Amino acid sequence: MGDVHEGPRKRIATAHLAQHIGQPVCFVGRVEKIHPNGKLFVLSDGEGKHTTVELSEPLDEEISGVIEVVGRVTNQATIMCMSYVQFREDKSPFDLELYNEAIKIIHEFHEYFPFG
Amino acid sequence: GGYTQSPGGFGSPAGTQAEKKQRTRTQNIVPCTVSQLLAAEQVDESFRIRDVEISQVTIVGIVRHAEKAPTNILYKVDDMTAAPMDVRQWVDTDEAGGENVVVPPGTYVKVAGHLRSFQNKKSLVAFKIMPVENMNEFTTHILEIVNAHVVLRRNLMEASRGPQAFPSAGMGDMGSYGGVCSMPLNGLTAHQSQVLNLIKNCPVPEGMSLQELKAQLHSMSMSTIKQAVEFLSSEGHIYSTVDDDHYKSTDAE
Repeated sequence: MGDVHEGPRKRIATAHLAQHIGQPVCFVGRVEKIHPNGKLFVLSDGEGKHTTVELSEPLDEEISGVIEVVGRVTNQATIMCMSYVQFREDKSPFDLELYNEAIKIIHEFHEYFPFG
Repeated sequence: GGYTQSPGGFGSPAGTQAEKKQRTRTQNIVPCTVSQLLAAEQVDESFRIRDVEISQVTIVGIVRHAEKAPTNILYKVDDMTAAPMDVRQWVDTDEAGGENVVVPPGTYVKVAGHLRSFQNKKSLVAFKIMPVENMNEFTTHILEIVNAHVVLRRNLMEASRGPQAFPSAGMGDMGSYGGVCSMPLNGLTAHQSQVLNLIKNCPVPEGMSLQELKAQLHSMSMSTIKQAVEFLSSEGHIYSTVDDDHYKSTDAE
């Protein structure tokens, strides 16, 4: 399987999941809901589209707000999470819509923002 | 010192002008991805990312690892574009604590530093590491990377195409020629350069008139010519002679 953190993880939004099955990705979204078993949660991206994130071990803490997930896209177009980080919003709210636009730009201008 | 303008203007090899423009670039600080830094080619003392010369760079990423040693702190900073990059921050050993507090793993930081390569391994020597307090700065950095590299590459392409292509627009162009540039001349637009060259090459004692300039520069409007003349005059490249319509170059040939 390999540690995905030692290589590129393409930043994607929900719309790009299908094109990245099996690939290491980085997804930023807002927590919408968390499954009671703690092994699954749903994030919404800057366009409001939902992505399901799965964990191998249940969450050991409450998560909320904007989360950045690193993981691999499963055949079901969910993300198998390897690690996550919460974006700080203590000083300013994070503009997720703007981030989505930035994603589109870095995909379009991929030669100026290479992954790997 | 005088001007370093190449003789004859239009006939000069584009290479030197492109190189000079390149050298001013290394005075700028360029936002980059870790992947770009890892792919940068080393040419003597400098690095190039797809032919664009870089030296001082900024990256934004998450601290994955932090190790404090007596003289330095070694971080591994991850921006998702490649494996985490080694970032070394030298500790001021005179200062007891204070200045160099270790940034904990899991924190997003903005790093400003110099790219280094040792035994084929790239790293950054940081002169500034700041935790990112507003994560929108991280989004901005992503956009700035694309913008910077598009503009730098475009400038490079245009500079190598010929002496007329010296756009004054572009990332920090005015800023880079401002206090930082050690070369006196290289801040003229294409129009200004063309006007200046014609005036310089005019052998007549009273210099070149605006009408003559217009006759030679078919593509330029009179107002563009006048603007160029005004700029060149205020910068001291030319001076008026018999009247406000005639100019000579201050660069005595």
